[in-house]
Amino acid sequence: MIRWLALLLAVLAAVSLFIGDATLALPDRLILWQLRLPRTLLGLLVGSGLGLSGAVLQGALRNPLADPGLLGITGTAGLGAVIAFYWGLAAAFPPALAAGGLLGAGVGAAFLLSFAGGAPSGPSLILAGVAVSAIAAALLALALTLAPNPFALAEITFWLMGGLADRPLWQVVLAAPTILLGVAILLSLGRGLDALSLGEDTARSLGVPVTRTLRLAAVGTAFAVGTGAAVAGSIGFIGLVVPHLLRPWFGERPGALLPAAPLAGAALLLAADMLVRLAPLVLPLSAAPPVGVLTALLGAPFLVAIARRGEP
Amino acid sequence: MNLAFLRAHAAERVVSLNLCTDQMLVLLAPEKIAALSPLARDPALSFVAPQAEHLPVVRASAEAVLRLHPDLILAAPYGAQTTLALLQQERVPLLRIALPQDFAGIRQMTRLLASALDVPQRGEALLAAMDAELAALPRPDHALHALVWEPRGLTAGPGTLMDAVLDAAGMSNASDGRNMSLEALLRHPPDLLVVPATPAYPSLATTLLDHPALAALRRLTIPPALTICAGPFSAQAAALLAR
Repeated sequence: MIRWLALLLAVLAAVSLFIGDATLALPDRLILWQLRLPRTLLGLLVGSGLGLSGAVLQGALRNPLADPGLLGITGTAGLGAVIAFYWGLAAAFPPALAAGGLLGAGVGAAFLLSFAGGAPSGPSLILAGVAVSAIAAALLALALTLAPNPFALAEITFWLMGGLADRPLWQVVLAAPTILLGVAILLSLGRGLDALSLGEDTARSLGVPVTRTLRLAAVGTAFAVGTGAAVAGSIGFIGLVVPHLLRPWFGERPGALLPAAPLAGAALLLAADMLVRLAPLVLPLSAAPPVGVLTALLGAPFLVAIARRGEP
Repeated sequence: MNLAFLRAHAAERVVSLNLCTDQMLVLLAPEKIAALSPLARDPALSFVAPQAEHLPVVRASAEAVLRLHPDLILAAPYGAQTTLALLQQERVPLLRIALPQDFAGIRQMTRLLASALDVPQRGEALLAAMDAELAALPRPDHALHALVWEPRGLTAGPGTLMDAVLDAAGMSNASDGRNMSLEALLRHPPDLLVVPATPAYPSLATTLLDHPALAALRRLTIPPALTICAGPFSAQAAALLAR
């Protein structure tokens, strides 16, 4: 099964190189290497980080609605990146962009995990996530309003909805190591998450270090989505949808989902980004919308469906 | 406002509420300035920033403007509408200047303002310098295909000031007036990419102009102070391009 997923992802990545910004024209070398390759790589990296962190958070928090976007982690990551970017820190020292995203995501994840540690009930966690998201969005708007560049405020849609267009390769290279590190950390948590699905006390009796597992989940999520959000903004719903799409094939055990989740997340984001790029060909749009618009339009009804299914 | 009335009225305390009229006022009649708009002092935007540093500025609020007891207010078609309506109720003479989009329009606007400020000979001197600068520009045999590309992929199409400036510099305009994405730009690269100088603090819109994929294109950076407003100094923008 996982082989088919990997094959699908490889095909999508290859096709992505041949779909342009509102055109199907074959790219020349420059467009291929400087525009479409970074865009495809960024989609792969960001999508895998989002998909995997969604699977890990749903397992660790035992909540089918957990998602780095819904819980506000990508929001706080975007906030950190905005502060580093618009005040010239990232221009003076490029890694500051990634560091800002990482720091923001770390703060968001630490807050949520500490909150969940006290009262791990589903609704209260989601409520805390709503609060964190709202604060992050408000502070982001405030930061952009106060930013010294007159164009800043108009760019709020990018940070709230996310986008993969026209990111230079060096930013992708900057984000890649931390995303891959986060993915590696999260992939190592399979056994702990399986034990956690039986409840924290049972997990402890099985010799699983519960606190350590939850901390690693927070740190791994911060790495997996923090620098991605710093480069591509807060793309929502990928982390929420991916585990639900995978469960019919891989079963309910959280650990079984982990190897497939980054592949599915990357495939989903790449597919969404290709649709967005082609949208101006069929719809009366002057430019391709940010990819987060599409993931939100498709993901939000999905959220409603999950919430309904959970009703007694 | 009636021009004959303005001339007879001989304004001595003039307030300008728009960056474009600020620059004309500084060039034509600095001794009659009661106040300029604050943007006039911004070296990134204003051609007359060094002079404006020592001149008074005022925000476009009716109260602050009335306190200066102006006998003429200069404004552009846009901005500060409610303030201007209030000032007109107070019967302060108001002259609204349409912003020209070509050199013929610049001549017309300069003469109108010079006449209203009762300094016609200074207007003619500015225009003579402008025409001399335009006449000295080389006319290349082969017109370069140039694209004025601004943050967010905006381009300067036919009928804009930059179109007239490109034409004066002996170049053809590669824009049809529509936005151009980075990929569309690279699919049909112009001979010359004209971009505004980037501001001190970054934004996504301005960093796009520095995307590494554009490195191979011949590019010319032009200070926005020369291109935001039309004026006799627009000839300097053309000279910068033609060089």
